[in-house]
Amino acid sequence: MARGLGEAGHECQIASDGAYGLDMARQDQFDVMVVDRMMPRMDGLSMIETLRRDGDRTPVLVLSALGEIDDRVAGLKAGGDDYLVKPYAFAELSARVEALARRHETGSVQTVLKVGDLEMDLIHRRVARQGKEIDLQPREFQLLEFMMRHAGQSVTRTMLLEKVWEYHFDPQTNVIDVHVSRLRSKIDKGFDRPMLQTVRGAGYRLDA
Amino acid sequence: MRLPAPFRTTPFRLTLMFLAVFLLAGEVTRRADQEIGAEMRSLETVYRQGGVDALNQALIERTADGRPFLYLLTGKGGMHTGSIATSPFEAGETGWKQFRVTGTDPNGAVVRQPARGEQVVLATGEQLFVGADIGQAEYFVVKIVRALQGAGALMVILGLAGGLLVSRNVSRAMAGLNAVVAAVRGGDLHARAKVRGARDEFDELAAGLNDMLDRLERSMAGLRHAGDAIAHDLRSPLTRLRARLEVALLDVEAGKGDPKAALAQALEDAEGVLRTFSAVLAIARLQAAGPAPDPATFDPADLAAGVAELYEPVCEEKGLEFRVEMTPQLVARGNREFVAQAVANLLDNAVKYTPEGGAVVLRVRRRSSGEIEFSVTDTGPGVPEAERARIVQRFVRLENSRNLPGAGLGLSLVAAVAESHRGRLEIDEGPGAVEGSGPGLRVALVLPRAT
Repeated sequence: MARGLGEAGHECQIASDGAYGLDMARQDQFDVMVVDRMMPRMDGLSMIETLRRDGDRTPVLVLSALGEIDDRVAGLKAGGDDYLVKPYAFAELSARVEALARRHETGSVQTVLKVGDLEMDLIHRRVARQGKEIDLQPREFQLLEFMMRHAGQSVTRTMLLEKVWEYHFDPQTNVIDVHVSRLRSKIDKGFDRPMLQTVRGAGYRLDA
Repeated sequence: MRLPAPFRTTPFRLTLMFLAVFLLAGEVTRRADQEIGAEMRSLETVYRQGGVDALNQALIERTADGRPFLYLLTGKGGMHTGSIATSPFEAGETGWKQFRVTGTDPNGAVVRQPARGEQVVLATGEQLFVGADIGQAEYFVVKIVRALQGAGALMVILGLAGGLLVSRNVSRAMAGLNAVVAAVRGGDLHARAKVRGARDEFDELAAGLNDMLDRLERSMAGLRHAGDAIAHDLRSPLTRLRARLEVALLDVEAGKGDPKAALAQALEDAEGVLRTFSAVLAIARLQAAGPAPDPATFDPADLAAGVAELYEPVCEEKGLEFRVEMTPQLVARGNREFVAQAVANLLDNAVKYTPEGGAVVLRVRRRSSGEIEFSVTDTGPGVPEAERARIVQRFVRLENSRNLPGAGLGLSLVAAVAESHRGRLEIDEGPGAVEGSGPGLRVALVLPRAT
């Protein structure tokens, strides 16, 4: 995992158990923490709870071998920001880590999102590309909003299903692909440069 | 409850009754003694002030007044005044005594009544006796006590016998339950307690124990089956993955082929293995967990609309007519996420198996029984009646679906969701065969009414 994240351009430090991890988190300032629930000496949730009590707001991705819905709830209640169940694809982990890091950067409330020549007005719920208004269904709007907030990053189908639809299961059919291709036909059709890219083995990416 | 009630309560009541009677008897005596004592003190005062003569006079007057006391004053020289002939005390004896007096009741019959009295010896040597008849009250109390003593003895005997019987019954019932527990502890999950049909606590316990063991056995079997199924189903894709990597390695060594494409394909295979793995795990967990976790009350139409919205584009893309028919403002109870996943799985299947140009209908309604039904009807080839029970099982895929993606876990999960909500899964024929299509399939997830 550390190698993969390193190759993706992130600098990683590894703690071999929960107590060591807590020390590290207290001494250094990290952009994102990836915390396994089951660790020697101190379990992941206790570690996160301790950090949150100390006022540490660093985004945390919780990793778990348990996958029940209540486990997810427990993970998020303890102060985790996202939850990933093992086994997972590395692309999934890396996409989520980047999404969390990005969220940390843009703390301020935005009313207008801009990616390249694509513009989204969050207050009037309007989208335009090169000044041309694009008519979107409410769900397409949410989908595009999520993609724009994570522009330049890969987002996986599972992430879209979780963050846009709030479902935590994987449909067997390619339902997400069809939603994305509908959105793509609306924002890319008639423009010379496609923005919504398919990332092989991972998901999608919105490029400026 | 159903334990023999007298065994538990009779000795207790009997004790209470005896206690009341004895207290009553004691009370009667105590009050009589008090009054006798007071009369005696008053006579002693008369004696101290006026001597034996005044006392003698007082006794005559008081007897004539009809006071409810028995008096007797005896002294030297044959002195004898009072209302009774002889004192129950010996000459010179003092203190309290209980005795009987002979009298007549209101009907004129002769009765011997219990009485109590006190005797003192005066300073001048005379003996003064004051007593009182403690009457009918004491008399009846004594009779009741006697009767109760007889009845009590009988009760004690009956109680002991009953107790013995019950305790023998209890230990026999416990021995049966203990045997089952011991057998299960020894690893025999098939052991079951005998329900004797007495409809008592022991039958309840035995039935509960059996139910628990049934569930345990089912979930153990489910887990074992899931383990076998995972091993079986993961073996072929894992073997395929391994072969692909091997070939890619050979190709790279030989400097030909496209190792990148082989790796991408291998990655996709691995994805498939992981998906199957999580699906099987999810089902096994649901089955092992018992009742659905995190139950909440929700609007089923709302839930179905959300899932429908997710599937609408894929239907359109495949050229299927997709319709949603919902009764608004119903109430269902359960785990939203699981129910949504179950409805999604039903739609997954319908979309997958219905040929282009067909129709899929998602319906949410409340049955007259109060149950909430989520049903998906399609115009696909349907499933022969004989196969319907089978398609719910894990990894079962019918012959004509082998070339379609999927692991045969979708309906198993719906069934597991239904079971964890104490609902059920119903599979029927769809709208029927029309112009070469159909007969279609109708699959319904039925949840019990929300209480």
